[in-house]
Amino acid sequence: MNEWIRTFRQGIGIENPLTVLMIGLCATLAVSTQVQNALFMGLAVVFVVTMSNILVSVFRNAIPSEVRIPIFIVVIASFVTIVDLVMKAFVPGIYQVLGIWIPLIVVNCMILGRAEAFAYHNKPLLAIADGLGMGIGFWLVMVVLATIRELFGTGAIVWFETTLVRLPAGYAPPSVLLLFPGAFLVFGFMIAGTRWLGERSAARAEARACRR
Amino acid sequence: MSKSIRLVIAVLVACVSAALGLSLTYAATAPRIAEQNRLAEERSLQAVLPDADDFEIVADAALLEAAAAAAGPTDLKDVYRASEAGAHVGWAIKLASRGYGGPMQLVIGLDTSGSVTGVSILSMNETPGLGTKVLTESWFIEQFVTLPAGFGDADVRALDSISGSTRSANGVRNGVAAAGRVYAAVLAGEEGGAQ
Repeated sequence: MNEWIRTFRQGIGIENPLTVLMIGLCATLAVSTQVQNALFMGLAVVFVVTMSNILVSVFRNAIPSEVRIPIFIVVIASFVTIVDLVMKAFVPGIYQVLGIWIPLIVVNCMILGRAEAFAYHNKPLLAIADGLGMGIGFWLVMVVLATIRELFGTGAIVWFETTLVRLPAGYAPPSVLLLFPGAFLVFGFMIAGTRWLGERSAARAEARACRR
Repeated sequence: MSKSIRLVIAVLVACVSAALGLSLTYAATAPRIAEQNRLAEERSLQAVLPDADDFEIVADAALLEAAAAAAGPTDLKDVYRASEAGAHVGWAIKLASRGYGGPMQLVIGLDTSGSVTGVSILSMNETPGLGTKVLTESWFIEQFVTLPAGFGDADVRALDSISGSTRSANGVRNGVAAAGRVYAAVLAGEEGGAQ
């Protein structure tokens, strides 16, 4: 159980797919212009990475290593298509905005990366922890990034045509934040922030160990 | 030899089970997706011609062929005759115009004099945050109603585009221009005579 929690927490913290491993960035930078999109995209990614981890892990002894990559891709592509169809049927409004990025989850390197690096070598329960941890880690970073970009790039956060937060009228939003250079800038600061936090907590742990 | 057969079987089993799972999901969601598409189309028609209460799809093959020729490179899908309480009030043209991420399905409403009453985007695959500005920057879509009756390509070209989403904006503008050509070439002649 301890190992389960440790694996789960690794994905969110010290092995966060976005700020530490830096995989699956393309979709993140593209979709994080709106909190609403980031939330649904993140949800889709959590589902796909967890399900593909489970399946790959359950059948890990039956999948010959020579053809593992094509099989992983088939598994991932199937779950992505399921998400695609379900979103089309139940949340067409979101689907219309996310459009091409949902099918593109297939080539999100984070999902194939977790199947290859983790699920193929671990038991199903641990693979679930890894999928959930990595997925939620991805989701959190993407939503934070989207919040910063939408709030400061457009001056307001809009959720299904309802404005949740609006900055004072005197604020002139720089649209560069919504474009790709802005995404890279904000994301760079987020990486710096996580590293600073990580180093600080490591230094604290060391100090505590010395005192003992 | 036996090893390679094992590999083939592994991939085959994976693909067949994936296909099975997908066809089950498809069968379960297909009716709902069709229903959502129908609702979206109805909403689009209503949005571009708010006064009309009935939309009748035009089935006249000769008319459609002439209209498709007038639309040129833009792919004409359907033409609807709109009426309010039985009286003819305009047309709705559904077409697919090329955007940045593939075809953008547009519905364009025209009144009986050929001016635009509204433009609605039925579906598109434009880049979120950039190309989708054609939808989120509402002034862009709204500016088409300022086009004069019987507008031509030059009138559409004179309208503003959106920086950062040039090709998506051009997709919408080309679609509207094509609707103008369809009206001038075919639908204008149908006015009056159709009643």
